[in-house]
Amino acid sequence: MPVGGYKLLPIVHEVASATVDGVELTADWNRQFETRVIEDYDSSPLFDLAALSEAESIEWCYGCGRCVPVCPVDLVGEYGPRKVHRKLQMGIDLLEDPDLWLCTTCGNCLRVCPKQVDMIKIMPAAREAAMTAGKEVPAELQGVLEATFKYGNALGQSPRRRSAWTKGAGVPVRDLTKEPGPVDYLFYVEDYWSYHPRGHQAAQAFARILHQLGIDYGILGHEERTLGDSQRLAGEKGLFEMLMEQVVETLDRHEFGAIVTPDPHGFNALATVYPKYGHTFEVLHYTQLLAPRVSELTFTTPLDVKVTFHDPCYLGRHNGEYDAPRRLLEAIPGLELIEMMRCRENGYCCGGGGGGMWLDGHTQSHTSERLSVRRVKEAAETGADVLAVCCPYEVSRFEDGAKAAGVDDRLRVLDIAELLDMALGGPDRVAGA
Amino acid sequence: MSESVVVIGGGPAGIEAARGVADLGLPSILIEQRERLGGTPIFANYAALTPYFEDAEQAMDAMIAELNARPLAEVRTNTTVTGLSGEAGAFTVELSTGESLEAGAVIVATGFDHFDPGRERQIYNYYQYPDVLTLQDLEAQLKAHEVLVPSTGKPPERICWVQCVGSRDRNIGNEWCSKVCCGIASKQAIEVREMVPGCRAYIFYIDMRMYGYWETQLYWPAQEKHHVQYIKGIITEVLERGDRLVVRGEDTTMGRPLEVPMDMVILSVGMEPSAGTKSMAGVLGIEPNRYGFIEAAKPPLDTVSTSRTGVFACGAALGPADLEDTISSAGAAAGKAVALVRRGTLQTV
Repeated sequence: MPVGGYKLLPIVHEVASATVDGVELTADWNRQFETRVIEDYDSSPLFDLAALSEAESIEWCYGCGRCVPVCPVDLVGEYGPRKVHRKLQMGIDLLEDPDLWLCTTCGNCLRVCPKQVDMIKIMPAAREAAMTAGKEVPAELQGVLEATFKYGNALGQSPRRRSAWTKGAGVPVRDLTKEPGPVDYLFYVEDYWSYHPRGHQAAQAFARILHQLGIDYGILGHEERTLGDSQRLAGEKGLFEMLMEQVVETLDRHEFGAIVTPDPHGFNALATVYPKYGHTFEVLHYTQLLAPRVSELTFTTPLDVKVTFHDPCYLGRHNGEYDAPRRLLEAIPGLELIEMMRCRENGYCCGGGGGGMWLDGHTQSHTSERLSVRRVKEAAETGADVLAVCCPYEVSRFEDGAKAAGVDDRLRVLDIAELLDMALGGPDRVAGA
Repeated sequence: MSESVVVIGGGPAGIEAARGVADLGLPSILIEQRERLGGTPIFANYAALTPYFEDAEQAMDAMIAELNARPLAEVRTNTTVTGLSGEAGAFTVELSTGESLEAGAVIVATGFDHFDPGRERQIYNYYQYPDVLTLQDLEAQLKAHEVLVPSTGKPPERICWVQCVGSRDRNIGNEWCSKVCCGIASKQAIEVREMVPGCRAYIFYIDMRMYGYWETQLYWPAQEKHHVQYIKGIITEVLERGDRLVVRGEDTTMGRPLEVPMDMVILSVGMEPSAGTKSMAGVLGIEPNRYGFIEAAKPPLDTVSTSRTGVFACGAALGPADLEDTISSAGAAAGKAVALVRRGTLQTV
């Protein structure tokens, strides 16, 4: 600024730490008080990444920025696909950057990208390369990957407890390891319905619905292992392939018409990834099994609730199924469905995909708010009483989110299976029948 | 009445217009001030044409041979037009040789000049630093199949293009987009990356303007196959630090200043009306636009008629144009000129 006729530049000091208004700031923060001159564009991290199999499209970005406003992480932080490309172009190595673990592979960027820069392939390839190169992997994720390797499920639970949930179902659930033989449908329960207490409730509700429809089905009991799609997207392709070998070996020993699963991630593995390895199974998401048969259900209990529905990324955007869940909800007497601003193709990610389920700590330290909290707020804004979901990751994520957002007193989180079961009379009706 | 059509300017537009007139059955007389035909692609030492990468010399030689093969086409080199009198159907064209020609119509194809970077208000130091070049300087290197840093004689390790030099600039008076420089810079970046694979290539731009198929002919392959880095933000100055050039500007995406060393800086100079275009407007009594290019009188559906009936213009004399547009407008001018002469002949019969 001009002082006595002389132009004096403002003097800027950079210190290792500083306290401003009682808030301690690290060097990272107070470096932003001065402009940092870009002294080079050493784009070699970009070239190295693009050289990885599946990651070549990272180089195709021409910086239009369409992806950033639809990236769920960018809304709560500084991450976005275009920005990832930009940082790589400037020489920042993604393999050593916190950004590597922020993408949930929700697929909304790819939906809008005119150059088809495919973060759903790039991120897993980059993460795999980071793991192979011995870079730091967030401990929380590392723990889950190890548990998956050891126990065949992300929760590190004993395979013997896989079918524990069946006890509370109130209807018989055929365990094919105990009662072998052909079935029409193999119910692939996957991890969170098998082991999470809230998942148990949804699994039991689903079993009662299957029972009422008289569907011939069975589960794999202790022989079931996770399909590991999120572990794959988190960078552990090797673990995914190992699991796939085991799963295929198990499936080959059983006779069934089609697989039905509540987990869009497992569904995605069977529907889109397994065929690339030559393993083809007919697979349905549970909403796809039920939707065409909804007229066969006898509803006894109108629910009188306003419900909003969260599209799971891996059922909707990745696999194109938006209608089956809605058909089920609309069939429930008394239920009013209200859509959120971001729904269907533009549904906002819960934060759980692509390994995000096991990276909440990492994500929290690099964003202002968890995606699940952001989503729950959007759900509450609609005035709905219930946030309906149909992905096993989401009940727990959104219940935590509702508490954090302070809306848990007016917004319940329920799986569509639970809502259907309630309208069908729930466990009491089964007991009375 | 005369059936001849006089075409002024022996570059791509003029050659195509003269050939077109002859093909339509009327005599054409092509006037070129230089000693040979070929125009800017030849005299500015272009290596490969945008966007198809044909060898410029071969392409122009083929055009010239086509023209020479037509008995109705006559060529006068080392000649300029000094005056025009009469009216459509019965012009008299005066030449620098003292001769005059009878012509039913005239086609102006006097093209463009490259912007002189010495006029740029940014400090690009084109005349001060040997390693700051223009697009056509690099074309000459590419034509010689050797890309070298002029001051060292070694291949560059880093090269960048600075877009919009002398274009889109009210300060300079060149308010137009020159249309072709984004594509040419991308074409050159591809060629440099192929010739000097170890060289990093950067293009600093305000907006990339890739018309139609240039997107996938030039821009996408440059980026996706040849690893050219496009950086949004223009260079404000080219300075020297020690014995190396430093480009300074703003990386607008990052909102941060940039100050990056380079071995070679290529200024993507734009198009200006050529001296010939500016003087022909006066000699022929046709209206130029405020920038000195010939004004098309009835755009957008008639792109080649001028303010004087019977005088047509084509190519970059009308404003910035790529080669494909140039050839198209030359064909349009030939067609309209022939039609006008024929109508005159029919009426007098």
